[in-house]
Amino acid sequence: MALSGMRGLSVFISDVRNCQNKEQERLRVDKELGNVRTRFKHEKGLSPYEKKKYVWKMLYIYMLGYDVDFGHMEAVSLISAPKYPEKQVGYIATACLLNENHDFLRLAINTVRNDIIGRNETFQCLALTLVGNIGGREFSESLAADVQRLLISSSCRPLVRKKAALCLLRLYRKNPDVVNVDGWADRMAQLLDERDLGVLTSSMSLLVALVSNNHEEYWSCLPKCVKTLERLARNQDIPQEYTYYGIPSPWLQVKTMRALQYFPTVEDPNTRRSLFEVLQRILMGTDVVKNVNKNNASHAVLFEALALVMHLDAEKEMMSQCVALLGKFIAVREPNIRYLGLENMTRMLMVTDVQDIIKKHQAQIITSLKDPDISIRRRALDLLYGMCDVSNAKDIVEELLQYLSAADFAMREELSLKAAILAEKFAPDLSCYFVQMCIIMTIHGFVPSLLKCRYVDVILQLIDKAGDFVSDDIWFRVVQFVTNNEDLQPYAAAKAREYLDKPAIHETMVKLSAYILGEYGHLLARRPGCSPKELFTIIHEKHPTVSTSTVPILLSTYAKILMHTQPPEPELQNQIWSIFNKYESCIDVEIQQRAAEYFALSRKGASLMDILAEMPKFPERQSALIRKAEDAEVDTAEQSAIKVRAQQQMSTALVVTDQRPPNGTPPPPTVGPLSLVKVPSETVDSDQNPGDQGLTQPNGVVYQEDPQQPSQDIIGDLLGTLSIEGPPGVVAPLAQSATSEAESVPSAADAAALVPVGEESGSVQPIGNINERFYALCLKDSGVLYEDPNIQIGIKAEWRAHEGRLVLFLGNKNTASLGSVQALILPPTHLKMELSLVPDTIPPRAQVQCPLEIMNLRPSRDVAVLDFSYKFGPTMVNVKLRLPAVLNKFLQPITVSPEEFFPQWRSLSGPPLKLQEVVRGVRPLPLPEMANLFNTFRLTVCPGLDPNPNNLVASTTFYSETTRAMLCLVRIETDPADRTQLRMTVASGDPTLTFELKEFIKEQLVSIPTAPQRPQGPTAPPPQVAQIAGPPPSASQDPGALLAGLL
Amino acid sequence: MPVAASAIYFLNLRGDVLINRLYRDDVGGNMVDAFRMHIMQTKELGTCPVRQIGGCSFFYMRISNVYIVIVVSSNANVACAFKFVVEAVALFKSYFGGAFDEDAIRNNFVLIYELLDEIMDFGYPQNLSPEILKLYITQEGVRSPFSSKVPNATLQVTGAVGWRREGLAYKKNEVFLDIVESVNLLMSSKGSVLRCDVTGKILMKCFLSGMPDLKLGLNDKIGLEKESQLKNRPTKRYHGKTIELDDVTFHQCVNLTRFNSEKTVSFVPPDGEFELMKYRITEGVNLPFRVLPTIKELGRTRMEVNVKVKSVFGAKMFALGVVIKIPVPKQTAKTSFQVTSGRAKYNASIDCLVWKIRKFPGQTEPTLSAEIELISTIAEKKSWTRPPIQMEFQVPMFTASGLRVRFLKVWEKSGYNTVEWVRYITKAGSYEVRC
Repeated sequence: MALSGMRGLSVFISDVRNCQNKEQERLRVDKELGNVRTRFKHEKGLSPYEKKKYVWKMLYIYMLGYDVDFGHMEAVSLISAPKYPEKQVGYIATACLLNENHDFLRLAINTVRNDIIGRNETFQCLALTLVGNIGGREFSESLAADVQRLLISSSCRPLVRKKAALCLLRLYRKNPDVVNVDGWADRMAQLLDERDLGVLTSSMSLLVALVSNNHEEYWSCLPKCVKTLERLARNQDIPQEYTYYGIPSPWLQVKTMRALQYFPTVEDPNTRRSLFEVLQRILMGTDVVKNVNKNNASHAVLFEALALVMHLDAEKEMMSQCVALLGKFIAVREPNIRYLGLENMTRMLMVTDVQDIIKKHQAQIITSLKDPDISIRRRALDLLYGMCDVSNAKDIVEELLQYLSAADFAMREELSLKAAILAEKFAPDLSCYFVQMCIIMTIHGFVPSLLKCRYVDVILQLIDKAGDFVSDDIWFRVVQFVTNNEDLQPYAAAKAREYLDKPAIHETMVKLSAYILGEYGHLLARRPGCSPKELFTIIHEKHPTVSTSTVPILLSTYAKILMHTQPPEPELQNQIWSIFNKYESCIDVEIQQRAAEYFALSRKGASLMDILAEMPKFPERQSALIRKAEDAEVDTAEQSAIKVRAQQQMSTALVVTDQRPPNGTPPPPTVGPLSLVKVPSETVDSDQNPGDQGLTQPNGVVYQEDPQQPSQDIIGDLLGTLSIEGPPGVVAPLAQSATSEAESVPSAADAAALVPVGEESGSVQPIGNINERFYALCLKDSGVLYEDPNIQIGIKAEWRAHEGRLVLFLGNKNTASLGSVQALILPPTHLKMELSLVPDTIPPRAQVQCPLEIMNLRPSRDVAVLDFSYKFGPTMVNVKLRLPAVLNKFLQPITVSPEEFFPQWRSLSGPPLKLQEVVRGVRPLPLPEMANLFNTFRLTVCPGLDPNPNNLVASTTFYSETTRAMLCLVRIETDPADRTQLRMTVASGDPTLTFELKEFIKEQLVSIPTAPQRPQGPTAPPPQVAQIAGPPPSASQDPGALLAGLL
Repeated sequence: MPVAASAIYFLNLRGDVLINRLYRDDVGGNMVDAFRMHIMQTKELGTCPVRQIGGCSFFYMRISNVYIVIVVSSNANVACAFKFVVEAVALFKSYFGGAFDEDAIRNNFVLIYELLDEIMDFGYPQNLSPEILKLYITQEGVRSPFSSKVPNATLQVTGAVGWRREGLAYKKNEVFLDIVESVNLLMSSKGSVLRCDVTGKILMKCFLSGMPDLKLGLNDKIGLEKESQLKNRPTKRYHGKTIELDDVTFHQCVNLTRFNSEKTVSFVPPDGEFELMKYRITEGVNLPFRVLPTIKELGRTRMEVNVKVKSVFGAKMFALGVVIKIPVPKQTAKTSFQVTSGRAKYNASIDCLVWKIRKFPGQTEPTLSAEIELISTIAEKKSWTRPPIQMEFQVPMFTASGLRVRFLKVWEKSGYNTVEWVRYITKAGSYEVRC
């Protein structure tokens, strides 16, 4: 270094080094920077010596980490200085302080070029180093040609050409066009003939970059590479300074082999032969020695050679030789080598078909599983996992299971995952391991029902004993599992209750127990010590010890306990309310929100029941645990030249676990003996986009699958469903259940309409009375519409003004799937209905939801019909079902005061707006019951409007698209002497509506138990009613006509 | 609420522990490492005196080249903790007889441990009065001349006059009274006052025999009004201006009941030096200096600075040690000055022009004009933030508040004569003028 002459610089450096603390150093540096600024601003300018000195100081300050934002001009100007010391600092400072985007560099390009094409070697080197360090696109455009010339010039010394090759590499990376010169490939090939190993190594680096982008052009280099390898391997003509621990230039060997891996194959037989000879020599010649450095070097060469062997798909013999070598490695005591051996064996496994050879080392690998070093154990596990196939699955899984009990907790999860996946893959061979495997298999959901309880036991024990090591995923899984298996719920609740009795339990246990008891605690109500109050007390005992993440779960549990306590116990209620109250001001938003919402909800009484009802079942999906295992595996993939191939292999290897059926139906259970197992019921969205990963859950939580955060979405599952987003139906006020008599009043048409076509086949009989079900549904919003031994059709409806949304739940009761499922809606003219897609098949034990959008256009009593058919085995079943989208669904109860009522009543005078009729043959009903009946039809009975106590006055609002909101008024005058007759007056702003409503009420009031006659209103019906009431037009589209036809 | 300190650490600037004392075992011994890692080795040092790391709060304070860190693990009274540190440092200083720094700590390990045991117990501050502690904790094992009095130590500590020994006798009975004020000012570039207040303290040094009772009269508003009420005389007797004191804090020796009822400051003083009272004034402050800066940026590389400083106190008075720091941009390369008095130079390490005037007579206005050349940089030209001009000064015999001592009466049984000395001085606190 030329520092010796600069006293100021050495003084400054020693000052800085002597500083006691950072602050002193900063003061000293600031002072010096001020000084340098003053000097640079000096009028007379600086002598080259001074300039050099200050630029060195600047550089030193910059290296200490301070901002130096001036003086670049001086640094760049030093580049053009004639003397070496100045030029040197100029180049170094420029290279350090500037990057390729600085404008100052433009000033330097010309000087740099002059230095490159000049004759002075040291200047050439400096210039090449600068370009190699910061050269950007601009540099590459103006200097590439010169650098290339230097590289291939015969007159330059190797020193310069070496730097030129590396400089060109940098320029090529910045701008690949630099080598788009005619014949560059040939020149490259010539370069590889170079005798000097330094130049050759640099050129090889360049070649690796070139062939990685475009190997076709450089075919001619391939034989040269092989030749180089031969030369190195035979150790011919290698200068002493290029041998490292007796290995001839390991760096060049590695680079050459890396370059060879970019060529798809070696075609020329001669070249191939000689290449294999070389590889053979490398494989043979490598051994484990004492010296670490030598080992490192020789192993680097060896592993690159292995990679090349794998790449070239060498003969089996060679492969077995490789494996034998690796086998030797994994038997070595030195852990690093063992690690490398295992890792490379895993890699070989993925790339080539050498499993049989590797299997010979199985015993050794299993020994590695017990290594004290965890990273080696992991590698061994990976390898075992990878090498597992039908023939050795039994042994390996047995081994893994044995090891599971001894492994540390950190690894257990991964271990059990891998075992689970293997178990699933090779299940037929492993049937005898049921009992042991149940722990693991539950992660995938296939559990023999006999063993379910055992599973819960095991997991609970695991949490109890090793809570800290059990990830959240596991208890989430338990919750999902218990929720989806009804028969297990009481058992799990009892178990959870038992664990809570222990004096000290792990927090995960508290979470799990609280959740399970909240959901299913009421199932235990009869047992001693399990009353809601006792449950609350025992859970609340744990409350002070838990962290904030558990408190929300406890709050939900309290809310559920409160909900299940019917009739409410005031004491318990007060206790729980006071807890909610306390947390309403909690700093944690989640807790606060829950407390506030639960508190408000619990004041609502009955509606609490619906909102906090039991959790719906979880949809089956790929276990997040398995996804986690996959992620971990992908991480181990290597980034070497075999990466692409390796990943292809990986993806086929993983296809077993990665399968996601396109239409959301579950994969058929492939596990032979396990297929009898009850598959947890599955909910499939009918509008699901095939291949789409986003599922809309029945509980209203949009589930986004994110492979990066498998645990995240499970939390979404559990916590999401715990929060208030209840099923959509519960928001609408539920109609009170009607009086029993009302249900058994089928009109003639109704009775006839409901004969299932499938009845003729005589094979499938509906369960329960379809008519009764229909009438019940006319008064309620949810219930069962139809049921037979194969299928159950449930309905859940929601009505808002003239619109409605009805969800059909098609549940397959069988263990076989139902095919050719078809649902057709035959809407009457006044209803617009849109049914979303119904899947063709319903999987076994699964439920499918089909939302149906309904819009009411006009008032009418006609009924929509659902034409439903499916195929079960050979039998085709077809039923026609009336849908409970009837007139009263579009009514909205409204209370009118006398001041409003009488003017309205008077203004609607006479037909057709006001119609009056004396109805006879009415079912005798006491007046309050009749009022009740009206209320269930959403006609609000307004007591006190009519002075006569025997009369009833009711009001309601009717919604349809044509009439909008229309007020309807009804007056019933009964005769206390004869309850079978009454006079009814109906008034509204629309004549059709008046008529339809009158007829509707009449139908409901008149009791015609069996007679298959249709009561006709004596008054002339309006035109469109006439169409229905008149003789049926044949083959009409009108569903009313169709119904009549069915008669 | 007490401090409840878990530990106290004394660290040097490198972060090495000089001395430490754990008062509770609720913090680990490695807490100081956390402090070093998260506070001392980051840029946040000095930005906030209270930091929380891993459930513990760190209160720290730098005194010369020592960091004093109090670690607490519970909710503690921060102000009390800092007061404790300040008092402890004063105590150490009075023991070491001079500076409190790293070397002083290294030389007095045993003494400091002994004091730390005494002044804090289980994290609660105890008696920090140097006068009392010196009775019982003696340096180098030398017994104090009053050691015979130790038997009534309990009485001493718990008695009515805990801060003064009995039986003191001086040949010459003297009282020194210093009124020290520091002026804080923030003025806009146009000369309007944005923030201005004076914090003052009255320091007393007593060399009085026996148990004297002292009474101090100031020209403060409340005291004067009360006095005239009591004596049923109009305020005519005092013709000067009256001062309104905002916050007043007294030494524990001042009889607060008498202050509340009669508004007079009467007390039995401790022996030696102590701070009698502290006060703050926000209204009617007499500013000793006015600064009129003009700073022009001429293009990217040149600047012109003109600063005129006007002294507005009496012509017979003078200020000492006036330093005016005029900030300049970081890329300042060359400066040239013209000053009518004092000396100016450019200090690169604080990026300021520093103008020093040793003696600054009243009613004068020296000026500085400087030309500054800046160096061009490659960094994006950010407009210069123009920090305020800062001033340091001391003006003896001048009070910015106008406070005056009207009388100091000494009563003693023996009725000796006393000599009273009164001094005034005004210093700059943060005296800043925007430019």
